[in-house]
Amino acid sequence: MRFRTKVLAPVARRLASALAVMTGAAAIAFAALQLVPGDPVQILLGQNNTASPEVRAQIRARFGLDESVPLQFLHYLDHLVHGDLGQSYQLQQPVSGLISAQLRPTAQLMAGAMTVAVVLAVSSALLTAGRRPVLRAAAGFCELVAVSAPSYWVGIVLLTVFSFQLHVFPVAGDQDFASLVLPSITLGLPIAGLLAQVLREAMEAALGQPFVLTARARGVGQTGVRLKHALRHAAIPLVTLTGWLAGSLLGGAVLVENIFGRPGIGALTLQAATNKDMPVVIALVLVSALFFVLISTVVDLLYLLIDPRLRTG
Amino acid sequence: MQLSRPARLTAWVLALATLTLTGCGSGKSSTVAANAKPVAGGSLTYAVNTEPTCFDAHISPQDITGEIDRNVLDSLVSEDSSGTFHPWLAASWTVSSDLQSYTFDLRKDVTFTDGTPFDAAAVKANFDSIAAPATRSQYASSLLGPYKGTTVVDQYTVRVDFSAPFAPFLQAAGTAYLGFYSPKALAAHSNNLCAGGAAAIGTGPFVFAGYTKGQSAVFTENPNYAWGPAGAAHSGPAYLSKLTFRFLPDSATRVGTLTSSQAQVIRSVPAEQVASLKRTPGVTVKELEQPGGAYNLWLNTTVAPLDDQRVREAIQRGIDIAADVKAVYFGVYPRAWSPLTPSTQGYDAALVNSWAYNPDLANRLLDEAGWTGRDAQGYRTKNGAVLSVEWPLLPAEYITDQRDVLGQAIQADLRKVGVRITRPQYDIGTYLQRAYGGKEGILDSSWSRDEPDVLWLFYNSASISAGGQNATFYKDATLDSLTAQGRATLDKTARDQSYGKVQQQVIDLATTVPIYNPVTIVGEQNSVHGLTFDPNDWAVFYGVWLS
Amino acid sequence: MSTVASPGRPSARLRPLRAPRAPQRPGMLLATLALVVIALVALAPGLFTSQSPTGVRITDVLQPPGTAHWFGTDQLGRDVFARVLYGARPSVLVGLGSTAIALAGGTVMGLAAALGGRWGDWAVMRFADVVLALPPLLLALLAVVILGTGELNLMFAVAIAFIPGYARIVRAEALVVVRSGYVEAAVGLGLRRSVLIVRHVLPNALGPLLVLGTVGIGMAMLSASSLSFLGLGVQPPVPEWGALLSGGRDFFQSAWWLGVFPGVAVTVCVITMNVVGRYGQERFTKRSTR
Repeated sequence: MRFRTKVLAPVARRLASALAVMTGAAAIAFAALQLVPGDPVQILLGQNNTASPEVRAQIRARFGLDESVPLQFLHYLDHLVHGDLGQSYQLQQPVSGLISAQLRPTAQLMAGAMTVAVVLAVSSALLTAGRRPVLRAAAGFCELVAVSAPSYWVGIVLLTVFSFQLHVFPVAGDQDFASLVLPSITLGLPIAGLLAQVLREAMEAALGQPFVLTARARGVGQTGVRLKHALRHAAIPLVTLTGWLAGSLLGGAVLVENIFGRPGIGALTLQAATNKDMPVVIALVLVSALFFVLISTVVDLLYLLIDPRLRTG
Repeated sequence: MQLSRPARLTAWVLALATLTLTGCGSGKSSTVAANAKPVAGGSLTYAVNTEPTCFDAHISPQDITGEIDRNVLDSLVSEDSSGTFHPWLAASWTVSSDLQSYTFDLRKDVTFTDGTPFDAAAVKANFDSIAAPATRSQYASSLLGPYKGTTVVDQYTVRVDFSAPFAPFLQAAGTAYLGFYSPKALAAHSNNLCAGGAAAIGTGPFVFAGYTKGQSAVFTENPNYAWGPAGAAHSGPAYLSKLTFRFLPDSATRVGTLTSSQAQVIRSVPAEQVASLKRTPGVTVKELEQPGGAYNLWLNTTVAPLDDQRVREAIQRGIDIAADVKAVYFGVYPRAWSPLTPSTQGYDAALVNSWAYNPDLANRLLDEAGWTGRDAQGYRTKNGAVLSVEWPLLPAEYITDQRDVLGQAIQADLRKVGVRITRPQYDIGTYLQRAYGGKEGILDSSWSRDEPDVLWLFYNSASISAGGQNATFYKDATLDSLTAQGRATLDKTARDQSYGKVQQQVIDLATTVPIYNPVTIVGEQNSVHGLTFDPNDWAVFYGVWLS
Repeated sequence: MSTVASPGRPSARLRPLRAPRAPQRPGMLLATLALVVIALVALAPGLFTSQSPTGVRITDVLQPPGTAHWFGTDQLGRDVFARVLYGARPSVLVGLGSTAIALAGGTVMGLAAALGGRWGDWAVMRFADVVLALPPLLLALLAVVILGTGELNLMFAVAIAFIPGYARIVRAEALVVVRSGYVEAAVGLGLRRSVLIVRHVLPNALGPLLVLGTVGIGMAMLSASSLSFLGLGVQPPVPEWGALLSGGRDFFQSAWWLGVFPGVAVTVCVITMNVVGRYGQERFTKRSTR
């Protein structure tokens, strides 16, 4: 009974709002398709100018572009419900296949970036929270730089130094673990900076709380207090923020995959956007919305695990 | 690699800051035995700058598709870099005197990698499929020219007919775009040959093993291959057991894969890195001038002020082409004198130095044309109108070779003689519509194809209409007949003569400003042997072996 | 970078969890100084260099930094110092412009939500949900695809992702006013409800909006320069920092100065905005919690 109201009800609410967000994203994406200037057929042909009018008409018919806009929308929705994301203009392949083939490298990159971010942020916060002002100022400055430096620039600098000059990491691609290191650091650094700031503030707030004093009085050591009490107390904002930031990782992947010559969703997004390959762009909008919805659901469930108060009500 | 001091300093600071990272540099020794015998086996990675949007050579117009598919698709004939044709899948051929009918005697021992024998019916199936509108061929169909049909004379004899004389056909038949897919694959997968991979079955020395978008295409050797083109160093299976194309658009990254041995061969080495790469031990740099059209500016003779020949000539002579090209390409790309590159048959060497930089002449011509006033920014005016020419910029993803930067240098030169060049940027559809609709002043392009017939595309008035490439919009009976004559004969002297006149005339009319001759720059490790290039400067891996 | 949360996301809401802090005076002083310099450079780059950012000099190609050219020259012999200085204007302008657009859009949307009744509120907030569900850079890419490249379009493209955050603040402030009794009282006196709310809401919301906006400028600059770096924002030959960096990318090994200085410029500028914005945020929350 309690499980049902405490867990299932929020999940149901979550699902309803997820559905609303997804539908909204689909509508926005279709509107975007209509607003894109230029003839899709020319987009498909690219720089080629030698195609005859007959060839153009054929392409038009093949992609259903000869239909009226309302009819196109209905077909689009119909296909969407059946899981068909359509055909790429530029690559002339099914969009669903294109995207699913690119998921793994991006998932690895995002997992790597989150690991880098959380490890750096937690260690920075644990080491500096409530310590000497000089130490905190130094850490704060590093975090500020990490948040403020453009990641494409950081990526190129890391690539030049560690791959081109020192030959420590492979130059490009997605072959093995070593090729994941620099991209993960590049993508994870700004997030680490932001997380560390919030985490330290939350920990310092916790260290000033009466329960910390109680714990100290019970004889728990400095490190123990930090690890057991302060960190746990700070975990809620950490989880919330991590969830929100994970959603935006997909945007960062566009830059990082471009710089490090990695395949993935980000590289596909950039290619589709610059070539106005709208079926792919639309599908990517839907995928990002879905990803965001999933992440926020996970975050909500994590609250229940971390904060016992939410469980017992 | 030499490090300048600040770069080295940064390197160390960052290295120290990141203590947890461990190094694993790979030292590679490359001792090359001279006159060594080819060794079979080994795997080679070739890093290229573009990735095909479609792997079907019958559909895609992309160079990279042709270069990749060459490993899988064989052709009827093979053209060597001197322009001579050799037997390949066709053992011999005859051409009718009116150049409208080509008959090929095919080899009898060729099979596709799915076991289907290669015969006259396979040739017909492929050519008919290319010509069929349903295929939506964007390039190969134009290589078939005035195609009428293919006739199976007997199992191993095939005749291709044209509705008009078509001299360039042998050259076209030698390209991978007119290469052969297994008729079975053609019938079963006509819709997804674009996606590449195992569905693409040919008779070639390699088999298309797999494709990862954004990363690589992998090929494995075809062990039964025994029909290498006449003129190649061997005829059996390829030496490499595995060939990987890596797609790396960023040039610094591409060079990095070569110096760190992640790739053995790379293409499109950026000009500014050629010198440092040449100093790198264990690496050789090859520079090959591309045949076909140079990188040209086309002046639209139908819009003001370019309808005045004096203005066109002033632009032609007012650009310090030699200095600009040298600065942007570090002396790696030579400046051009003709709309054709020197490595193209029919190139007219008499044009060299015939129209050198002359800003005084440019100023004089503009004065004569009445552009004598000056506005506040120093641009010339006539009756209150500024001497301004629009030269649209391609969307960023289509700009290669830093042509936008070169354009800025040209803009600066013309500013000195008082001509304003504006460079708006449109999306590709709008760009093509405006450009080939005759609405722009200047257009720029290069056109790689080892055949002077490209001049027909550039200057014949039939090429002005929709789908044409004539961006000068100049209608002239002499140019029309000269470009048509070249098409209708196989006699080299006659062709050279017609094409030479065309080149001379378009420079005199100042409808064209040739800028530079594109160079294919390939970097390879010294362990790579036997790498050759076809007439398009595309790498041929059939004879490559590793030491 | 765009992986950073936009204003209005929890990071901003969590900020009030403050603890004893080291005095930030020296940092703030430095940031104010930097702000003044950046503003001056953006307004009048000619004060700081006599070189032209577009002056092609074919004979002076790729000179390393020295006394003649402080930041060296690029592949057409143009002075990189001048280009970085002149690049401040488009870079700062796009940051300011897109923040202004986002503030305006957010205000309109927030008010529409507060005044639009139940359905208006629902529609606006669901729209905000959808926009928040998409990565800012993806939204900007989508917008650039539709609008095309160029400075003005870039401002709009970057602004879209920031609108929901501002809209939520305005809506919250508006609801406080709506639910307070004095509005009802004033309506009873015959004043128009919407005029009244706008008049009371805007002054209240202005503080938090401006504070968030300052941090937002830095974020917007990062976002815009990322797009320019990808070739989708400000177009060369306008010397925008992201575009400069993109042009210097191929030269990172042979001519490091082409890529390093524009990158440093972006970073310093964004740090400045962040420091100033956070300082304002702290001051503001202190004042409002008192």
